Amino acid sequence: MNPRHRLRSLFTLVLLNGVIPIRTQPLFLVNLLASPLSFLFFITIVSNGTYLPYGVTGGMILTMLSVGTTLQSDLTHYRHDLKFQDIVVASPVEAPVYVAGMALSELVYSLPVLAVFVVIFAIEGYVTLLSVVVIAGTLVLVWAFASALAFTLATYFQDVRETFLFSPLISLFLTVLPPVYYPIKALPMWAQFVARFSPTTYAAGLVQGAVGLAPLSFGLAVLDWGVLAGFTVALFLLAGLKARWKEP
Amino acid sequence: MPVAIRAEHLRKVYPHSPAGVAALEDLSLEVPTGRVYGLIGRNGAGKTTFVRVCATQLTLSGGTVSVLGHDLEREERAIRARIACIPQESRPLYFLTVEEVVYLYLKMRGIDRTEARRRTRDALEELSLTEYRRRMVSRLSGGLRRRTLCAMVLASDADLLFLDEPTTGLDPIARRQVWEAIRRTSREHRTIVLTTHYLDEAESLSARLALIERGRLVLEGTPADLRARVRYPYRVTIQGAFPRAELESYGRVAEIEGGLLLFTREAEAREVARKALERNVRLSMGPVSLEDIFLEVVGRSIEEETPREEAEA
Repeated sequence: MNPRHRLRSLFTLVLLNGVIPIRTQPLFLVNLLASPLSFLFFITIVSNGTYLPYGVTGGMILTMLSVGTTLQSDLTHYRHDLKFQDIVVASPVEAPVYVAGMALSELVYSLPVLAVFVVIFAIEGYVTLLSVVVIAGTLVLVWAFASALAFTLATYFQDVRETFLFSPLISLFLTVLPPVYYPIKALPMWAQFVARFSPTTYAAGLVQGAVGLAPLSFGLAVLDWGVLAGFTVALFLLAGLKARWKEP
Repeated sequence: MPVAIRAEHLRKVYPHSPAGVAALEDLSLEVPTGRVYGLIGRNGAGKTTFVRVCATQLTLSGGTVSVLGHDLEREERAIRARIACIPQESRPLYFLTVEEVVYLYLKMRGIDRTEARRRTRDALEELSLTEYRRRMVSRLSGGLRRRTLCAMVLASDADLLFLDEPTTGLDPIARRQVWEAIRRTSREHRTIVLTTHYLDEAESLSARLALIERGRLVLEGTPADLRARVRYPYRVTIQGAFPRAELESYGRVAEIEGGLLLFTREAEAREVARKALERNVRLSMGPVSLEDIFLEVVGRSIEEETPREEAEA
């Protein structure tokens, strides 16, 4: 496949798994809104509006992770129930194009959720050029590692129901427990140390810092970017090693 | 004749196979280019495993395979550029329309918009799917879904097509439409590897056939070759009073409704026909069908395995 054909395949997959299902069933868009907006509502009410920005930054990260867990279910369903992956394997479409196309297609579902959060931030006066750049870069990395994790896990699932077991666990360990919806300083020291093992801690540090919720020096930002990028590369390497394009 | 697939001493053992039982064992065969090649055998005989190995979907445990002149282990990408496959039990994505299933598959393969549209229109027309083109897959019957997948793969630009039980669930008219599309594709000098449980389909479409049993190649050749190589190439149907014991000296006898069925050789068939005429008994005779061959070969294999299993028990 030449680069033009690869691009054509990629956009076809985005259309096939992202745009067309939304056209057929617009409720797919609302589905991804439900969890982050519920958290936002709860946090805002409980804190009398003080933690609203945390609800928004946390919601953005949760949305990107949800993209990964949905991808994991779709990949498993397509592989085992529809044999769609077998059809793609026996075709000129290469594995990285398939993974990228499927991951991008899931991103389509997140756009309305992100738009809602951007509007809230704009109304609250948090939108600056710097914050937009930092938040966008961070969310791209979260989406990338969530997709790599999804592709690796989907390789091992034999039934789509198994993905339903893992999705809440991923959500718990990567968004609820780490300081994604609250400042890391709210945790005791030992818990802050444990939280450093989660890539979302660094993503939240960057996003919260970009909108002025937590101090973010240049050095700290470089460290957070570096660790987050390191996690992403590690998960991609894991996907490269463990994910299977053809069956053993 | 140029060869599309050359498999030599193929062996496949699935990772979690009980006691390391091989799904394919020392299987060697050649699929000629530009023909329909039929694979027949019982459930679990190894047909789908063979297809999945050659379609680069499954890793090989041993042996060598060359597909369209490319080594399967080292040149997968070159092979994938020229193949297409309908896996067994595959289903089209339920939220697409019939037209989108075919069109988007072609676009995914890198075909440009104009060409993809033309191929989609032609394939839908050939398989009588035009009237359903705007209907969503979720609202189609199982047979129409299967036909949509056939249209999708037959519309492709692939030189080698793997069709794993493509007509399962189709009505007789739809089956014949798919057969015609397969024949047309074959006339374009494209190769088709077809697995099926419909032996009339295998016989009607295939230039050559392979009968696989317990992972091994049991018989291979043209339908005529296969007939010539079975123990009893003639079937004689006798309707009327004819002593079964006498018939058993000529070959294998089975009871059918209103009479007896004898599998025998040509000379013996003539002898039985002469005796039947003398006794004024109705009789018909002819070469065995593929189904008869299948039952004889596979039946013998089952008989051989049964005492062993009983001994093990």
